[in-house]
Order: sequence, then structure tokens, then C-alpha cells
Amino acid sequence: VSQLLHSGQLSMGPLVFQRGCQTRALHSTDAEVQTVSTAVSSTQTEPQDHVTEQLLQHEEPEPPGLRDFLRQVEDRVIKELVKNARSHAFDGYQVNWEDQSQLVSCRHRLQHPSAQERSLHVTSVSWSCTGSVIACAYGRIDEGDWGTEKSHVCTWNLDRRGLNPKQPDLVIDVPTTVTALSFHPNQPSLIAGGLYTGEVVVWDTSHTQDPVMAQTGMSADSHREPVYQVDWVPLQKRGEFGVLSASSGGRVLLWTLDPDQGGFVLSAGYALVRQQVPHSSRSNYKARGSSHVGVTALALSPWDSDIFLVGSEGGLLLKCSFSSQTLAAAPSEGQSVTLRAPAVFSFRPRNSPIHSIHCSPFHRNLFLSVGTDGLAHLHSLLQTNPLLSVRVSDSYVFDVRWSPTRPLVFAAATGQGVVQIFDLGRRSLRPAATIDQGGANQAATCLAFNSQNPHLLAVGKTDGTVNIWHLSADLTEQSPRETVQLELMAREVAE
Amino acid sequence: MAEVEETLKRIQSQKGVQGIIIVNSEGIPIKTTMDNSSTVQYVGLIHQLVMKARSTLRDLDPQNDLTFLRIRSKKNEIMIAPDKDYFLIVIQNPSD
Repeated sequence: VSQLLHSGQLSMGPLVFQRGCQTRALHSTDAEVQTVSTAVSSTQTEPQDHVTEQLLQHEEPEPPGLRDFLRQVEDRVIKELVKNARSHAFDGYQVNWEDQSQLVSCRHRLQHPSAQERSLHVTSVSWSCTGSVIACAYGRIDEGDWGTEKSHVCTWNLDRRGLNPKQPDLVIDVPTTVTALSFHPNQPSLIAGGLYTGEVVVWDTSHTQDPVMAQTGMSADSHREPVYQVDWVPLQKRGEFGVLSASSGGRVLLWTLDPDQGGFVLSAGYALVRQQVPHSSRSNYKARGSSHVGVTALALSPWDSDIFLVGSEGGLLLKCSFSSQTLAAAPSEGQSVTLRAPAVFSFRPRNSPIHSIHCSPFHRNLFLSVGTDGLAHLHSLLQTNPLLSVRVSDSYVFDVRWSPTRPLVFAAATGQGVVQIFDLGRRSLRPAATIDQGGANQAATCLAFNSQNPHLLAVGKTDGTVNIWHLSADLTEQSPRETVQLELMAREVAE
Repeated sequence: MAEVEETLKRIQSQKGVQGIIIVNSEGIPIKTTMDNSSTVQYVGLIHQLVMKARSTLRDLDPQNDLTFLRIRSKKNEIMIAPDKDYFLIVIQNPSD
């Protein structure tokens, strides 16, 4: 039996305290055991039976002569491998297979005369999945009333022999400004579009009589504000895609196509509300104005199907999750699905609207964002602060896209009408190439790389033209160390 | 088979080795460290290439024969050690 006595002393200046505590009395007893009889035994593993092991692993017996063959070549091969790893014979050695033209040339200048007459801007361009058709959307979103102006979606097939740059192959009339456009990733005839009125439409270009395949219409489910981005999202069922639309009303909605009714079914809805935006520790972002977060940019991650990125007109940059279960603190307007709050992480906010976000096709954590402040920020999904800021232009930057073939290259469309192409592998942060068509008052509003033919870059401008540029080999051919350099960049910790 | 496995392990442990495939004389892969689809792709193409290389050498000089084939590319190097009954294909990225 023992008693434990604890005592502690705490002294603070002239005051002295004394505390004591004591456990309850512990009870213990002794007992003894004695073995009556003993037995000894031991075990040992047997050497593995090769025959049985072989039968389990391989159905056929060892191919005859394989062992001898390997014995013969092994030394030689290992010697060559070691020599190769140490060799500097090929350091910096590069071969030119492609025509090393340094020029960036304009292949086509596409216009739609009717849109030109009415001074419509090009608001969005998209390449089809086959890479031969370019679609562009017209409209005007700068002045208030223009949004109700009738506009068009035009397509040109660049591989057709009889291509007439002044006459689109297909013109779809739309009653209002089209603010977003996206070709289906697998089906070359489907195009999704977002309208100024908040509607989402899918056109089927193979039906020339009535191309509208599905439309959200003005229901309780649809957006009330302009839809600034539409994207095709792979659904649970393989091969099926839904349309994700984001509007300045703060809603991001996922629609599925209903083949029976020929319309859209709202399958999931997300509402971004100021109060529910996660605050990163260093952000001094003060909520002002209305409580919803007007979405002006949206990007899907090609690596993680659960993640999407959102940029707002207030400069917020958020990482969101499709599977978020938090209910949105937005008033219900009679939608058929409950709105959820998708934001899970907040990157360092900017002071001005974010116009475009694009995730890197070569690294799962990297993405670019551009906005009215003229800077392109390279962010890692894991950090609040950007890894790198590149001054693209003194004016607005409307769109940014990573190159589909070079991990370190991206292109940005500026308000001065110039497209700047940057190569992050270069020491200096000056652009690797500048595409200037002239016409300084005409902003370049959108651009798209052709993933099937990576030399082609389409740029849409406010003068109503879509220019197709052919890029030089050094902007499109990947050099050996690029993926490694990108990885190193991604691993840096931002200050 | 244990000896075969050990030999492959020794080769695999060399610096920068990305994959090893052993192909028999009929062009069928019998051992591989890579996934199935890549293996099938490599074997189909390389088998033809080795045959062509060998016939090129023998046409140039009937007394000569192919002992080793190395293909150096922008991204890596493919080494092939041919034999009557088998080929050993090793893919190495020396700058890894």
C-alpha cells in the first residue's frame, strides 16, 4: 500500500501559494503462480518450394533459355546504362525536325459582315474537339443596353477548301448577347453557350434548321444575371457530360441534358455568398456591397474532378468543391435543388475583377489568373499567395490560356489589343512573343489554343474579328527540361 | 524464375531506368515492368525496328550482325539487346 503525495509551489513575486493534492488510497495485492508441468516446442520455416511458388505466380513454365539470355546480356546492358547516366556527350544537343520558322503569322482573319456592321464584339471563341472548326460568339457587354441586342454564334471550318473568311459556315442567330461559349469535348457538333439574360443553351450544329438542342429558359432554376462562363464537366457516368454555368449573380449551376424532354435538368447548384467565403489569415478583404459574389471567371481542374476555381468581380479567387455539403446562406428562390456553398479555400484576393482563370495541363497544382489590374498571377492550389506575378499589360487583361504543348508557356489577351506570350523558363519576365494586329483601340477579349493543332491560336477582338495565328516552333515545341522546371516552380513557397 | 527476377531488379535499380521489357522471338512480351498498354505499344513498334536495323546491317555486310541498338530521343533513351530467342528493351532517362 502506498500513498502518493503531490505538492507544488507557485511563486509570483511577494505572493507565495502552496497547493497539494493526494490520490485516493491505492489498493494492491500479491499473488503467486507456479507451473506444474512444462512442454517445449519450436517452429521453423521450411525453404520455399520453388515448384509450388511458380505454379502460383505463373501459369507457364519459365521460357527456355531466358535465364541464359539474361546472364549474357545483363553485364553489357548495365555497363551501357551506367555509362549513359554519366555521359555528357549529348548535353545541350538539340535536333531540329520542324521547320524552324521564327515567325508568328496570321493565317486567317475571320469576320461576319452583319456583326461588323452592328459593331459587335467577339466575346468568346472555342475550338471544336477535332480542331478544325472555330466558333465565336458575338455581343456587346460594355454598355448597359447593348446586352439586349441580337447577336450571333458563327462557325468556320478552317480545313475546308472553300473557306471564306468573310462568310461563316454556320450562323446561329441569338436573341441576346452571347457571353460564353464552349464546344463539347467529344461531340464535334455540340456547342454550349451562356447568354446575357442568364440562360444556358446548347446548340447542335448538325441541325441547321433548328440548332437549339436545349435551353434553360427563364425558370426558377436559371440564372438571373449574365452567364460569364460555361464549361462541359464530365459526369459520374463515363462519356456523359453536363454543363456548368457561372453568372455574376453568384450562382454556379450544373445542368444535365434531358434527352426525352430536350431540355436541361438542374442537377446541382452552388451559391457563393460573401459570409460563406473562407477567409485566409492574411486577407484584409472587407465585404462591401451586395452579399453575393458575382462570378466572372470559372475554371475546371483537369486533374481533380472535384475541384473548380472561381474568380469574382470583386477580386476574390476561390477554390471550390463539387462535393461540398454546406448549405448556401442564400435565400431560396424556388429552385429544384438545394443550393450549396462550394468555397473551401480562398486565395489572396485582388482589388479588381478577375477575368480569367486557367489550370495548367501539365501540373496538378498550378493555375493562372488575370484581371483588370494587368497582372498574371501564377498560383499553387496549396498556397494563398501567388508564386509569381507577371506584368502583362498596363491595361486590362481579359483572358489567359496555358499552352497545350509547352508546360511553361502561356498567352494573355490584353485590353490594348495585343496578345502577349510568356515563357516562364526564360530568366527575364518580358514576353517571349507579342502578337499585335494593330488597332490599339480594339481590345483582345478572348483567346483559345487549338489542342489538336497546337500551332494555332485564335484571338477574338472587340472589332468583331477572329484572328487565327500560326505560332513559331519555339513557342510550341517542348524542350526536354520543361516539366522538371515547372515542378520546381510549383514547389517554391511564396513569400 | 527467381534469378530472372533478380536480374531485372538489378537493371531496374540503375539510375534513370523507367522500364524494362523482355520480348520473345515472336514479338510477344514475356516480362515487363510497365503497364500493359505501354508495353504492347513499345513491343509492337520496336520489334519491327530491330528487324529492320538487323537486315540493314546484314545487307551492308553479310558477315556483320546487330549486337546492340540504342535510340536516343529528346526525352529518353531506348536500349535494345537482341538475341536469337529474346530481346531485352530498357528505357532510361539519363538526366533523371
